[in-house]
Amino acid sequence: MPPIVQVNDLRKRYGDIEAVRGISFFVEPGEVFGLLGPNGAGKTTTVEILEGLRRADGGSATVAGVDVFRDPSGVKRRIGVQLQASAFPDHLTARETVRFFAACYDLVVDELALLRSVDLGERANQPQDKLSGGQRQRLSIATALVNQPQVLFLDEPTTGLDPQARRNLWDLIRDIQGRGTTVFLTTHYLDEAEILCDRVAIMEQGNIVALNPPRKLIDDLLARGFTKPVLQQKANLEDVFLDLTGHELREP
Amino acid sequence: MRQTVRLFGLLLRGYVRDRTALFFSLVVPLMLMVIFGYLNLGDFGRVSVAIDDQAKNQSSKQLVDILKGINTLVVTEQTTDDALNHLKRTELDMLVVIPSDFVIAPARPGQAVPQLIVYGDDARPQQVAVGRQIIAQVIDRLSFAVTQTAPVIAVKDETVQGVRLRYVDFLVPGILGVNIMQLAIFSVAFALVADKQRGVLRRIMATPVRVTNLLAAHVMTRLVIAAGQVAVLLLVALVLFNVTIVGGLIPLVVVALIGTILFLTIGFALAGWATSENQVPAIAQLITLPQFFFSGVFFSKNAAPELIRPVTNILPLTLLNDALREISVQGATIWDVRTQILGLLIWTLAGFILAVRLFRFEKF
Ligand SMILES: Nc1ncnc2c1ncn2[C@@H]1O[C@H](COP(=O)(O)OP(=O)(O)OP(=O)(O)O)[C@@H](O)[C@H]1O
Ligand SMILES: [Mg+2]
Repeated sequence: MPPIVQVNDLRKRYGDIEAVRGISFFVEPGEVFGLLGPNGAGKTTTVEILEGLRRADGGSATVAGVDVFRDPSGVKRRIGVQLQASAFPDHLTARETVRFFAACYDLVVDELALLRSVDLGERANQPQDKLSGGQRQRLSIATALVNQPQVLFLDEPTTGLDPQARRNLWDLIRDIQGRGTTVFLTTHYLDEAEILCDRVAIMEQGNIVALNPPRKLIDDLLARGFTKPVLQQKANLEDVFLDLTGHELREP
Repeated sequence: MRQTVRLFGLLLRGYVRDRTALFFSLVVPLMLMVIFGYLNLGDFGRVSVAIDDQAKNQSSKQLVDILKGINTLVVTEQTTDDALNHLKRTELDMLVVIPSDFVIAPARPGQAVPQLIVYGDDARPQQVAVGRQIIAQVIDRLSFAVTQTAPVIAVKDETVQGVRLRYVDFLVPGILGVNIMQLAIFSVAFALVADKQRGVLRRIMATPVRVTNLLAAHVMTRLVIAAGQVAVLLLVALVLFNVTIVGGLIPLVVVALIGTILFLTIGFALAGWATSENQVPAIAQLITLPQFFFSGVFFSKNAAPELIRPVTNILPLTLLNDALREISVQGATIWDVRTQILGLLIWTLAGFILAVRLFRFEKF
């Protein structure tokens, strides 16, 4: 099968800042692909170009077989997105929010079923702005799934969530992958990339400096003779936290 | 079309649930009308008239006495010089000079008829018009008294007292106009700039929604709210203040609708230009405040300083208020107010061009 996302020599600058400096990579259909990098590396810029939201200065990109630069709305029809910074229309319930986005695709969907699939069935009639951070992320994913996208783009889906909510979201993302959707996510959490992603691209100052399955990246590092300077712990503080507060998602 | 209707349904739902927005679109306009209507702040049921009686004879005394007896008039006797000064300072509405040759007698053929000289304050044309009408009728009546029989007087008397242009009748179309302006500009500009800043528009633009459909849905939402606002205001005007819409409701609503669309285009232009919510109130006030004061909302449009009247007379709200008022008070038809409507359409076109140029969805 041909790659579902193909990026060739992509470039973007904002005035003096070269945010993306000619990157090339591809994403296999059905995988969870992670774009990992520190703040300001250019992750959001890259993702939003692929989503047809920003214009690139050079290079080429296709998503789901559609040229992003020539037919951005064709791309938009085939993908689902969760933006790093965005909000929903005011004063709507979770269910109406899903309906609003379905209307944006000119589709009618079973809103309740979709909300149940992200574990929000109980919250269908709750005002969207009264949801917790984790619930809002899941609603955001629900709105991104209304058009049964071929690729789901998630820009830092777990930032700001507590450990339980993060794990819950990971399960959801694996679930979505299990239904055959390709997932393209960005993160700066290494554990998240390691656990969730089939392949990871590490981005640094507009360049991709490594791209491999997480295990391979680690093995390569060890093969270069790397040893951790501190003693490997059997557990860390996060394990303590999860042990004390449980693995279940917190719902007030 | 289906997309537009569905988006419209949801946007309207959201709007109606927004207590603050609803308060500003329905309660505030009502408060304005009730406060101004009840307090009669711009009352001109009473017209202040100065009389300079240069004749001081039987006939002139009779005229002055009758005028003093009319409730609508506040009559004082002053010299022409004093009165003209007061007039200039708009402390007076009118000055009537009774010439020294004034008599009420059957005119002999060929004889010059004595002439009253009437000065009126430009800034208060409604009052002046009422005053002139009353004086003319009193003169008629006096003329009748010398030429005709008595019973005519009783009939005339009622007519004289009947000339009462109430302030609320004048006020209601102005209140309609100003609220149409406020609602259209503020509701669009605030809501869309907030959506822009919070990233709502970006999120929506990540879908293949047709921008024209989304905009149409926003426009339809505001038209429905504006229609509701007009309905509530009219209902209160009719029930509480007994206002009669002489020209009928349909032409009034048609003009109100045109006005709404005009101010919506300005709202969209503003929303397109502004990048943060803080800019909206400043610019919106800059656009609406001069019209609030100079477009004949609470007082005559001629209350604007003479120097700037050529400008204030063609402001969008002035045209809207003029048309609404002519329909409501004078019973004009749509055809009668075609000049104002043409002006409104020109403004709409200008606003539309500006909105299209300034409103860029892709930037978000
Ligand atoms: N609209 C913009 N205008 C100007 N500069 C921008 C704009 N968007 C991003 N940048 C700059 O481009 C660089 C890359 O930004 P980008 O948002 O893509 O990074 P990121 O990897 O997503 O960072 P983060 O992890 O903080 O979200 C940064 O230096 C940023 O300041
Ligand atoms: Mg980012």
